[in-house]
Amino acid sequence: MQSKPMALTILDVLSIIGIGVATYFALVYAPTEAVMGNVQRVFYFHVGTAWVGLVGFVVAAVSGIVYLVTKDMRWDRFEVAAVEVSTMFFFITIVLGSIWARPAWNTWWTWDPRLTTAAVTELIYIAYFMLRAGIEEPEKRARFGAVYALLGGLSAPITFMVIRLFRTIHPVVVGTASAEAQGGFDMSGDMLTSMFVSLGAFTILFVSLMWHRIRLGGLEEKVEELKLKVSM
Amino acid sequence: MKEPTPSFFKAVFAIAHKDLAAEFRSRELLSAMLVFSMLVILIFNFALELDVKVRQSVTAGVLWTTFAFAGTLGLNRSMAVEKDRGCMDGLLLAPVDRSAIFFGKAISNLAFMLVVEAIVIPLYAMLYNETRIFQWEFLGVLLLGSIGYISVGTLLSAMSVQTRTRDVLLPILLFPVAVPVLLASVKASGGIVAGLPFEEILAPLNLLIVYDVIFLATSFMIFDYVVEE
Amino acid sequence: MGPANTDNYMIAGYVVSFVTMGLYLLSLYIRTRNLKRDLETYEAMDNEKK
Repeated sequence: MQSKPMALTILDVLSIIGIGVATYFALVYAPTEAVMGNVQRVFYFHVGTAWVGLVGFVVAAVSGIVYLVTKDMRWDRFEVAAVEVSTMFFFITIVLGSIWARPAWNTWWTWDPRLTTAAVTELIYIAYFMLRAGIEEPEKRARFGAVYALLGGLSAPITFMVIRLFRTIHPVVVGTASAEAQGGFDMSGDMLTSMFVSLGAFTILFVSLMWHRIRLGGLEEKVEELKLKVSM
Repeated sequence: MKEPTPSFFKAVFAIAHKDLAAEFRSRELLSAMLVFSMLVILIFNFALELDVKVRQSVTAGVLWTTFAFAGTLGLNRSMAVEKDRGCMDGLLLAPVDRSAIFFGKAISNLAFMLVVEAIVIPLYAMLYNETRIFQWEFLGVLLLGSIGYISVGTLLSAMSVQTRTRDVLLPILLFPVAVPVLLASVKASGGIVAGLPFEEILAPLNLLIVYDVIFLATSFMIFDYVVEE
Repeated sequence: MGPANTDNYMIAGYVVSFVTMGLYLLSLYIRTRNLKRDLETYEAMDNEKK
């Protein structure tokens, strides 16, 4: 295992600073929301983690396709890293949404399109890891993982559209707001700034974590190879 | 080689025919799916207290849940048989296109599911005096939903039988990916039973068709990667 | 009437976020450490064989 590259160290430092700044913007800089009060401040991390979770899902599906075409194990490690890191971020998104929903909607959970799609996506991620855990050969594991990541990436948007046929109360952050949305709020300039700071910070953190996970994948492969060599 | 390789459709037909003929002789798969479906409906009857009022809103949900469960049973079994008897290796060695294997298996799986539906639906109608399910629209949704479910199910069952945790893995892999097809089918067929105008069920129907097209095409294209050795 | 007092929810939210990220970092660290240990063991075994 080669020593840690300089760029990764810089990225690590940047992500720590970034998350620190984002926390400051969310907790101190942004104004307190007029009706809901301080709980609205979880919104910044909610949007940040949701964004990287979504990016990770797309990255996983795309690297699945690239793996199937090239059969290069590096793309498999890329895909696993994307799925694992975004599973973690999506978990935070869902819990934060739930915490916000309790005072805003007076319920921890509602079967709204966004919430349901997030939950189904999380289940697809878990199924993905269960599938991989059941296969011994690294090459087959990579192939099946890529196929499943691709199927998951295709079905998630359709899930969202289907559940939208049932109704929604989730506020729309980007685009026109639905009349039925509850707990929506007009964002002031300072709130928008805080949101973008959070988006930026989580993007840097995501890249850095993915890089670490890819390196871990490389280490895993090396150990597996050596194990085979020794046992022969 | 002197003989020409069999054409694509001939190969698809041969594989589907082989499955159906074997099933016609043993009937082990269909009987298991049918008995299982009956049991699920029996349990729903008491768990949900299917009286006249409740029935209107849950008929579609009960039927689709039953078919989804029975479907995984059939999918699992039909692929496991190929794997265990070494038929899969034989099929892979045969000079046919891999995607012909996919279509052959998908057609026989679909046939099993449709047979189960063809028996369960009249039985359900008789038990609960629910004649509104005998509408062309309802049966059309049933067909579209089954096609979507089976196409992705055939692909995933080919994967799950090759893993260590084969029997438990298929529903875990299949259900989250099949959520759209199941929910759209429930929404559409529920609307038909409730007697809504056709425009109201158009939205789920469209999504159902979109799902079918996307997943049939994708499964067909990537089946190669699932069976290669 | 001012904004509702929902401070506890906010604190809970940020605690959950940081704990989850911390646990993930810890799991990355532990997995890397274990793999490095395995690597050393196998390398030693490999050298013995030669």
